[in-house]
Amino acid sequence: MTAVGHPRPAEAERAEPRTIEIVGGPGRISAEGLREAWEYRETLRAFVMRQIKVRYKQALVGIGWAILQPIVAAGLFAVFLGRLAGVGSEGVPYLLFALAGMVVWTFFSGSVTTGSDSLVSQQTLLRKLYFPREILPLSSLGVGFLDLVAGLSVLVITAALFGVFPALPWIVLVAPFVPLTLFAAACALALSSVNVYYRDVRYTLPFLLQIGLFASPVVYSLSVVPESWRFLYASLNPVAGAIDGVRRIVLHGEWPDFAVLGVGTAWSLLLLVAAYALFKRLERGFADRV
Amino acid sequence: MSDALVFEGVSKHFRGPRAYLSLREDLTAAVLRRPRDRQAVIALDEIDLAIPEGQSFALIGANGAGKTTALKLASRIMYPTHGKVRVRGRVGALIEVGTGMHPELTGRENVDLYGRILGFSRADIQRRFEEIVAFADIGPALDQPVKQFSSGMQLRLGFALASHLEPDILLVDEAIAVGDAGFQYRCVERMSDLVREGRTLVFVSHNLSAMETLCDRAVLLDHGRVTEDGPARDVIRTYLHGVEAELMAEDGDESAIGSDELTIVRVSLLDEAERDVDEVPAGGKMTVRLHFRAARPIPRPMFEVGLSDGRKGPFALASMLIDGESPEKISGEGHVDCTFEYLPLFPRMLEIWGGVRGAAGFGDLVKWQRLRLFRVTGEIEAGPSAVSHSLANAPVRLPYRWQVTNSDGG
Repeated sequence: MTAVGHPRPAEAERAEPRTIEIVGGPGRISAEGLREAWEYRETLRAFVMRQIKVRYKQALVGIGWAILQPIVAAGLFAVFLGRLAGVGSEGVPYLLFALAGMVVWTFFSGSVTTGSDSLVSQQTLLRKLYFPREILPLSSLGVGFLDLVAGLSVLVITAALFGVFPALPWIVLVAPFVPLTLFAAACALALSSVNVYYRDVRYTLPFLLQIGLFASPVVYSLSVVPESWRFLYASLNPVAGAIDGVRRIVLHGEWPDFAVLGVGTAWSLLLLVAAYALFKRLERGFADRV
Repeated sequence: MSDALVFEGVSKHFRGPRAYLSLREDLTAAVLRRPRDRQAVIALDEIDLAIPEGQSFALIGANGAGKTTALKLASRIMYPTHGKVRVRGRVGALIEVGTGMHPELTGRENVDLYGRILGFSRADIQRRFEEIVAFADIGPALDQPVKQFSSGMQLRLGFALASHLEPDILLVDEAIAVGDAGFQYRCVERMSDLVREGRTLVFVSHNLSAMETLCDRAVLLDHGRVTEDGPARDVIRTYLHGVEAELMAEDGDESAIGSDELTIVRVSLLDEAERDVDEVPAGGKMTVRLHFRAARPIPRPMFEVGLSDGRKGPFALASMLIDGESPEKISGEGHVDCTFEYLPLFPRMLEIWGGVRGAAGFGDLVKWQRLRLFRVTGEIEAGPSAVSHSLANAPVRLPYRWQVTNSDGG
């Protein structure tokens, strides 16, 4: 064979092949499983790239759709809620206010929707190939990020059009997305695994997301929530915390509420561990049941 | 040497036809305290098996015997219901290769993505890229979306990838069943290269000849159980004998055939010593005895006996229409013997056909049809596919010899 005398990583690995044990029954989170998932990170990236490439190849406007969706929704809200119903918008133009909410919401709902369907829609892969299964729901988040970046760009441009320009707090723009991403990952993992067993998830989710849209301050301000409940609400609903954070940073040039984001991160992490445990518990039956 | 793959008391049960449930059904069952009726299908039943590193191993069995399930457990696509599978080293599984390729992406993009889905690093793939592409031999199609490839090309690319990414254990399931002849040849060559390099091969195929050539050892699976374990050639022979035995058993109905005029009540087979047998040695002597009953005297009946390997038409024929040796007249009960003095045949199962025509040479007294099966027995020869290859091919073994003349001094 080739490359004599060059110790290659593959060969070094082969020197001491790892032994794995495959048993049935409910699985659990293990160091071994986490390590393997980490080793397959290139595969995760491959899945993300695959979805992105396919999207660009199939749809002429590609990412255009990702941008259009929050803009159109924000526009509609601006007309019906901002103009006609006169919903308060923290002193900024309602369109901009709603766009900030929609960009965050679109990332979350898009990731959770494709994530929860990811195992069922790619069932041929589940039945023919091995790779850590969590890669599929998690890769949906990767694609969601791409849309998010596009959406945030639109938000920044729109803000500039309304005369709102970058300020120092923009350096922490990533902060609101930390709890939100963990929360979205938790939802995608839990829902995708349950969906394999009960297809009801697929039909219930749009309904739940509809409720979620109005349970989060997308079209209204967080200040609508009574002061005493605001902290709890914004940290336990990471979507609310994230939207408020983005509005503070981008629209008002203020620092986000780090206490809310911190508690939200801890809470989301807890949910993520629970969701991952559920996923692992159900994982071994995927290929049989999907 | 340690074991690459071990099955310890492994069982796999599947649910019945409807695998996924609806929440409603589960809730109803829970509320009414009624167990859901689930009929389990047992695909593997307490399998114990150890495959040492570097062995080339074949799984043999009829459809539904559990071969593919065993591979899916070993590659962690599925998990056992009971028991444990231990795998040592990196697994490359070729189970319906090509799944995982995306139709919209080009061959080049798919090599990269599919390789990584298989768990290989980008560096691994890049190092091997030229080799993989050369092996797949898909030429300019590499830069076209895979959906424009033929399925054969997708298969080539899939096999090329999975077999070039240096797995410790290669699991192959029917991968080479499709693909043109030249590619099949290269697949088998590639697999034997991997075996020579000391990698472990587990091979499932209907191509017994390839398994006989490639594998040291085989296991025969029957309804999820191991029924035989040993050298590949012996196991393949056992399997084939089993298939033949089943056919012979089905063949057992002894109902008389024929017409109102003439019936053949029974067909027996006699060996050299005139014993009633089911099998005769290759190169031996065999008599086919047709027991008949004539309703009334029949002048000059034209008996015919043929041998067939299952393909259309007999490959050997003894016919009174040709040799003119028909009896003056038959009546009542009796038998006609047709003796083949010498059977230059390969050891395998064959069919006896027969029929009787009237004196004029047309008008069937007994329609030409298959009468029974018999087996030719013999020593296995030395060739690499001696067991399986001689079965699928020409049944007659004429005396022959080879001589190779080669300009390079051969």
